[in-house]
Amino acid sequence: MGERSFAEDVKQLGYGEGEILRGEGILAITKALLQSGVSYIGGYPGAPVSYLIDVLADANDPLLKPLGIYFEQSGSEAAAAALLGASINYPMRGAVTWKSVVGTNVASDALSHVASAGVIGGSVIVIGEDYGEGASILQERTHSTALKSSIPLLDPRNSLDSFARFVGEGFGLSEACHEPVFFSIRIRACHMRGTLRCRDNVRPAISMLSPLGAPSFSIDRINLPPFTYQMEAQKFDKRLPAAMRYIVERGLNEHFRGDEDHVGIVMQGGLWNTTLRGLHVLGLADTRGRTPIPLLVLNAIHPLVPEELIAFMRTKQRVLVVEEGMPNYIERELKALAHEARLPVEIQGKELLSPHGEYVPYLVIGGLRRFFTSAGVKSQSTAAIEDRYHALTAHREKVGDVLPEPVAKRPPSFCTGCPERPVFSALKILREREPEIGDTHVAADIGCSTFSTQAPFNVGNSVLGYGMGLASSSAVSPLFAKRTISVMGDGAFWHNGLTNGVANAMYNRQDSVLVILDNFYAAATGQHHVPSTGKNARNEPVPMTIPQALHGLGVKWVRTVNSYRIAEVIGTIREALTTRVPGLKVIIARNECMLERQRRERPRLRREAAAGRQVVQPRFGVDPDVCTGDHSCMRLNGCPSLTLRESPDPLREDPIAHVDDTCVGCGVCGEVAHAAVLCPSFYEVKVITNPTWWTRFVSRLRAAVIRRLAAVGT
Amino acid sequence: MTDAPILSLLVPAVGGQGGGVLLDWIVDAALVDGYPVHGTSIPGVAQRTGSTTYYVELSCERDAAAHGTPIFSLYPVPGALDVLLAPEFLEVGRSIELGFPSPGRTTIIASTHRLYSIHEKIVTGRGIYPIEKLQAAARAFSKRLIAFDALALAREHGTEANAVLLGALAGSGALPINADAYRAAIRAKGVQVDANLRGFEAGLSVAAGSVGAARAPAVRDSSRRAPSDPAAMGAGASQDIERMIAEFADALRPVLRVAIPRLIDYQDRAYAERFLERLRPVVRGGSLELATTVARHLATWMTYEDAVRVAQLKTRAARFERIRRDKGVGEGEIVVTDFLKPDLDEIYGVLPYRLVSPFARWAQRRWPHGRPTLGQHVKTTTVSGFLRVWMLTWLRPLRPISYRAHEEHARIERWLAAIARCTQWDDGLACEVGRAAQLVKGYGDVRRRMAGHFDRLLESVLRTAEREAATGEKFEASRSLASRYRTLVLQGPDSEAAAVTLAAEASAR
Repeated sequence: MGERSFAEDVKQLGYGEGEILRGEGILAITKALLQSGVSYIGGYPGAPVSYLIDVLADANDPLLKPLGIYFEQSGSEAAAAALLGASINYPMRGAVTWKSVVGTNVASDALSHVASAGVIGGSVIVIGEDYGEGASILQERTHSTALKSSIPLLDPRNSLDSFARFVGEGFGLSEACHEPVFFSIRIRACHMRGTLRCRDNVRPAISMLSPLGAPSFSIDRINLPPFTYQMEAQKFDKRLPAAMRYIVERGLNEHFRGDEDHVGIVMQGGLWNTTLRGLHVLGLADTRGRTPIPLLVLNAIHPLVPEELIAFMRTKQRVLVVEEGMPNYIERELKALAHEARLPVEIQGKELLSPHGEYVPYLVIGGLRRFFTSAGVKSQSTAAIEDRYHALTAHREKVGDVLPEPVAKRPPSFCTGCPERPVFSALKILREREPEIGDTHVAADIGCSTFSTQAPFNVGNSVLGYGMGLASSSAVSPLFAKRTISVMGDGAFWHNGLTNGVANAMYNRQDSVLVILDNFYAAATGQHHVPSTGKNARNEPVPMTIPQALHGLGVKWVRTVNSYRIAEVIGTIREALTTRVPGLKVIIARNECMLERQRRERPRLRREAAAGRQVVQPRFGVDPDVCTGDHSCMRLNGCPSLTLRESPDPLREDPIAHVDDTCVGCGVCGEVAHAAVLCPSFYEVKVITNPTWWTRFVSRLRAAVIRRLAAVGT
Repeated sequence: MTDAPILSLLVPAVGGQGGGVLLDWIVDAALVDGYPVHGTSIPGVAQRTGSTTYYVELSCERDAAAHGTPIFSLYPVPGALDVLLAPEFLEVGRSIELGFPSPGRTTIIASTHRLYSIHEKIVTGRGIYPIEKLQAAARAFSKRLIAFDALALAREHGTEANAVLLGALAGSGALPINADAYRAAIRAKGVQVDANLRGFEAGLSVAAGSVGAARAPAVRDSSRRAPSDPAAMGAGASQDIERMIAEFADALRPVLRVAIPRLIDYQDRAYAERFLERLRPVVRGGSLELATTVARHLATWMTYEDAVRVAQLKTRAARFERIRRDKGVGEGEIVVTDFLKPDLDEIYGVLPYRLVSPFARWAQRRWPHGRPTLGQHVKTTTVSGFLRVWMLTWLRPLRPISYRAHEEHARIERWLAAIARCTQWDDGLACEVGRAAQLVKGYGDVRRRMAGHFDRLLESVLRTAEREAATGEKFEASRSLASRYRTLVLQGPDSEAAAVTLAAEASAR
């Protein structure tokens, strides 16, 4: 499974003491988990941490099973968080992972319970902080969840060695304070290529090879009053103070002294690289990170240790806080501490950098410039800082001169041959051609299908959460004069859509249409298996199906359609929108994710062709003299392989449609042209490589006849 | 502070272009050559056809351990970028917009080929970002520019553009990494090694060739032919055609050399004569620009794509050869299926006007939106399928008396009359009305919608011009209305409502 082959990575996960692993940040974290002696690992895939699940799935047989480690791709983040329940009663280490903040939100019920009961086995939650450029979700930080549930939060410096160290420290911290620990990693850090000096993997004491024999019961670990009051008290009387002691004793936060002792910078560990580069370009640090500016690098941003912060601020007149996201808890904490300790220090942060958004270099550099030109430093004159800043930015004012019009945006979209795209072609055609039924509210969902909201479809009036599409139309549907439509992928269906969507709609007798896009995988994260894929992440057979699940919930009106047959899809949606049958109507539009299909089919066809066997490959094309260049097909299709070219006709000004050589022959362009009655420009050509003698004979015969007829015609 | 210089390289790519592999090659090559290096990327949802970036930093001091490890940034710093390695040309523009490359520092290595964004594709007219603007920007924002069509070169060598770009990077010398280290990285990666090495060498020699020509970078571009380029038109027209067009100005002849054979091919010589007859008054009364505009649009319009024309184009022997060539079919065989779905208008359109006009009027009332259709998938490489389409071409002699011809020529006459009227007032206005014919395109519903816009444009512009003529104004309002209406409609369906409002406002004034 998965988008890439992980054979090499699986091998590296088996490395022992002193061997050098080469790979991405997330691989180093995965290796560190194995080096920490975990008994179980779980999680729900999602960028930027999907890779952790992918590589462990492939490592299950060769590596995890022999160590007795239990691995699962959980049904949702909530299920993954609940996995940590194992460490409440039993002294075993465990780790789970998901995309945050959305995954943390899904997980938060179980998470609060684990954090309240406390753990006796080290528990680490690796959260991929999907924030800033490249993020695919709403923009919030996980910090506040850590605060409200008293879960320590690590945000380490970006290097593979640092990640591996802090995974280990995370388990230590968790065991010291009896709370699960968040290990936060940003998008770019996940994908950062580097090297790690490995240690041996550790076989857990409690494992599938040496399982527990007796249950452990302790009533004070049950989340019921009066114990919940005790738990709350323990968090603040014992657990967080224990965490602070651990942070100080193990030196998790790093204090770099410098000669400019009237100023200082406090930063999240994850922003260390950017801040150091900012100092470098302003002439305040070298490329190896040596700087006269005192720095306090907080690799643990919750809990903060007041003594550590006060000690750093004590000699300083001005302190800059480089802290990403709002609310600015660190900055506020520093200000409160300075006030209580009556320190004569001015603390600045958000006002000099930016109140929101990812702290990319230009924001950080701008903030550093404002801070240092106003605070003044001995090692660099204000004029020199300004000069360096202007040298860096002067060219930006001239961009408007060379590019007066903004460069066309390039939103993410469905891949070439995607089986989901034609469903949105169908919805758009229905909306345009039969607005009295088709121009209705469409509740979109999370997954590849969310791209339907982008050009060229702009189908989908709301996006609310994974598997929440149907539920989000619960109030719209009865208050809307037309029947409404909800869309969800198979991943969304199993994650949350089955219960919060379908069961809720059936229970409340909602009269609407649900379109389930069944492409056999959670494709957006990289073709992860879902319960209806047929196999789980460990490649064990699983017989669950969507129609059976729907049947179990009492859904009567269920139709399954081939998603590439657009006319059929339109007909089925029309029927669902107009039928007299009340209640929920479910359409399952099926076809395998084309990326996965091509990954399997392309090498097979290549092998067949190489072996001299007849291979038939469909491709699509546009007759350039038939196309008049109105681009209606693009507005209803949006396939990456359907593109533009200059018209070979010198009399025509506008570019015409063209199918490039990335076409996989799914047939959607022909289907769209047909269903929307566009034009006769499209043709399908079946390219037959290594034709058999019979194929060749028939083709030659036909060609000869046609040649003669064609000669008569023109 | 002694400093180890760090070089930075940004790859602004489009998801699915193999940027990840390119990044791995560069990082691996640096490691092979002993340079401390790091790379990162932001795939996220952008892995599916969206914009995405890959980023590399490399320390120029080989022996990291002796001097302390360099601190790498995970983000490019705008204005402090050493190399922009762009696998697509619009992304160069985006990087410039974001301030990454700077004239004093950055080497831009870019493939000039374009992957059009969906926003460029869905425009009804021309939505393609002007490549000249991108070229000028790339020149202005680079210390050195190496721009060439890496995709075309890759296809030539049976490989992918990312391998060619890697070669160009090596050849540029922008990073200190040895060419052999890149080759070793390609081998170590083990994916399509031979093809990628071929691409690498091809890119290497292109970039090496451009070294030295530092400040005058040749943008090697397999670029588009300008549509109005007369040189591209009608070379080698026959003696007969030359005689037919001899009376026209030299500057007009290139268009006519394309138009006349096309009209003869479409119908017959008399039809081409009719075209010239229609053109003559325009040539006499107006400027050369007007004459060229009208000639071009009139020829296109008079060869409108009715079912007979489509059948003619679909059954040419040359068509099947073109398909084989376009799809790179060597020794293999092909089976072509055409997706034909004429609607009722197109079916009765080929029949005689007198015969079908009552029916047509009824049908138009009966189905005001979306007429019934006759959908069929025809295998035109089989004899029976070919015959079904080919038989239609035999209706060609009936075309002059067909319902469709009646409709099209009536509209053409209205257009020409409007041009004649406007020519008396203002040549600029006449040109704008001439250009309005650009709107008449598409099939079925699309063509009907576009023709509707054309009619509305003509009507409201004439009305405005009449008013201006009466008050002695200089036709600025009517010129601008014609141009803005056309531009709005050509932007796409979302702007069509604005065009209609515009016309309504102009007419109400």
